[in-house]
Amino acid sequence: MDQLTLTAIFLFILFLLLGTGVWIGLALMGVAAVGIILFDKGFVGANLTDKAWDSASSWTLTALPLFIWMGEILYRTRLSEDMFKGLAPWMARLPGGLLHTNVVGCTIFAAVSGSSAATLTTVGKMSIPELRKRGYPEFMTIGTLAGSATLGLMIPPSLTLIVYGVTINESITQLFMAGVLPGLVLAGMFMLYVTGWHFLRPGQRPAKEPKTSFGHKLYNSRFLIPVICLVLLVIGSMYLGFATATEAAAFGVIGALVLATFQGSLTMETFSTSLLGATRTSAMIALILMGASFLSLSMGFTGLPRGLAEWIASLGLSPIVLIAALTIFYIIIGMFLDGISSVVLTMAVVEPMVRTAGFADLGFDMIWFGIFIVVVVEMAQITPPIGFNLFVLQGMTGHSMGYISRTALPMFLIMVVMVGVLVVFPELATWLPENLRNRP
Amino acid sequence: MKALRRGLDLLYFAGGVLGALCLIAILLIICGQMIARWSGIAFPGSTNYAGYFMAASTFFALAYALNEGAHIRVTLILGHMGRFRRWGEIWCYTVAAAITTFFAYHAIARNLQTKKFNFLSQGQDATALWIPEMAMTIGSTLLAIALWDHLIRILFTDHSGVYQPDITEREH
Repeated sequence: MDQLTLTAIFLFILFLLLGTGVWIGLALMGVAAVGIILFDKGFVGANLTDKAWDSASSWTLTALPLFIWMGEILYRTRLSEDMFKGLAPWMARLPGGLLHTNVVGCTIFAAVSGSSAATLTTVGKMSIPELRKRGYPEFMTIGTLAGSATLGLMIPPSLTLIVYGVTINESITQLFMAGVLPGLVLAGMFMLYVTGWHFLRPGQRPAKEPKTSFGHKLYNSRFLIPVICLVLLVIGSMYLGFATATEAAAFGVIGALVLATFQGSLTMETFSTSLLGATRTSAMIALILMGASFLSLSMGFTGLPRGLAEWIASLGLSPIVLIAALTIFYIIIGMFLDGISSVVLTMAVVEPMVRTAGFADLGFDMIWFGIFIVVVVEMAQITPPIGFNLFVLQGMTGHSMGYISRTALPMFLIMVVMVGVLVVFPELATWLPENLRNRP
Repeated sequence: MKALRRGLDLLYFAGGVLGALCLIAILLIICGQMIARWSGIAFPGSTNYAGYFMAASTFFALAYALNEGAHIRVTLILGHMGRFRRWGEIWCYTVAAAITTFFAYHAIARNLQTKKFNFLSQGQDATALWIPEMAMTIGSTLLAIALWDHLIRILFTDHSGVYQPDITEREH
């Protein structure tokens, strides 16, 4: 059989196993094994255990379970209640009012947790009922929440960025730093949208909140401030070069444990559920990573990544067109797969494409591409049929998927603009990590 | 039969607990590494040790994560199969059990090799690799057992596979 037929069979099996519902990590291992047999490239078993062991025992990966654990601990504190109570007095007088608590709350929780579903539930649990009670339009409440929760993937610590960094062997710390400014810009754009609504739809504004004194505001956010300090400690220790990503994660876990103790929410039960929860999630992601690293070895034998990169180079497309094509490609993949799986599954094929001269000339490196991919994967979180955030919101509010996706559409469009901003100003993502790189 | 059932479930859960303890070990090693660096004491091989515990945490907890419905899969088609879903699940568990058994078989073979030739780690730790690799051997075998266990129960009882929590009930 020729190379092309073999590659076609290989891809067919890949989609067959994934589509019929075989667990993603195992499906990737299975396809990779078949690939090595098809292309007759040596010992399947030895290659499998090599790749599995190397990716599971990698030092870089140790940041993953620790950051998950930190998020799990804080998720079980009273952060959810305090987030709204603490933020509301500060946001009440802004144009757009308490809707800003959705955006800012998600931004803060995103900085302690790497997952967007956890961000969504933590912030939404309090803000949805409170905003309803005050008469904010449902459309705005749900939409801003769905959109802002995706910040969980971009603002460090981000599980997607850890997985991306481990897959392509780039520094997690640099990726995290790259995510900070774009994340804040995106949050700012969401807040502009809320402000715009305030001025364009004056009829929908609810009654003004009463004025509160500064002391009162401070008193209400007494539990929130330590969390913000923890965030600054974790990100700051990485930025200033005191700690690697893993060490910062260890700071995070200990800080979270201390906070939970002072809040009185740390019991033997919350400790063990958060620990077991982190163990499960990290085992799940590690299994996918093992499968993916074996698959990319096997994928290399098919010659598919190289062939595709050469083919695309021969088309002479401008990188901008390529970025637009990749955006659409990832949104489509994201309709069926979650963010982490779509990143690991595609990187073997996409990486050679991005590491070409055309991209570098525009200031797009692998770090920049990581942030790009995260924005695009975020967009997939709020597009039907499989948008994780939409599912979570459906469960929380009881609205139909169709309605929730309509409320999220403006946020989706803002993210499209964000991709444009990243293309025009790649420095947004690359400046901070480069600054860090130059540190002695 | 009942004793077997209880024994297996206990075994999977024990794997999860062991995985969780390894996670605590990672935390302790990393803290130790930081303290050592600040106080100028050498802690050679700390990154390797953290890596071994990372692998151990993953492998020990694989079967437990399966039973808790943590491993993700694309359920779009399965969800629309209606009364044929059982056949879809049989297919999935058969494929998964076959892949995992293959994995476990080779993990055992590899582990015997590393023991026989006493391969040492290339890092500063110079650990005899067969010791940390035991985690891969045990964990992959445990996952294979768990998958066969589910498959057999689906075939012969009214068990319908792992209870996959609805996405809305999941914390992540």
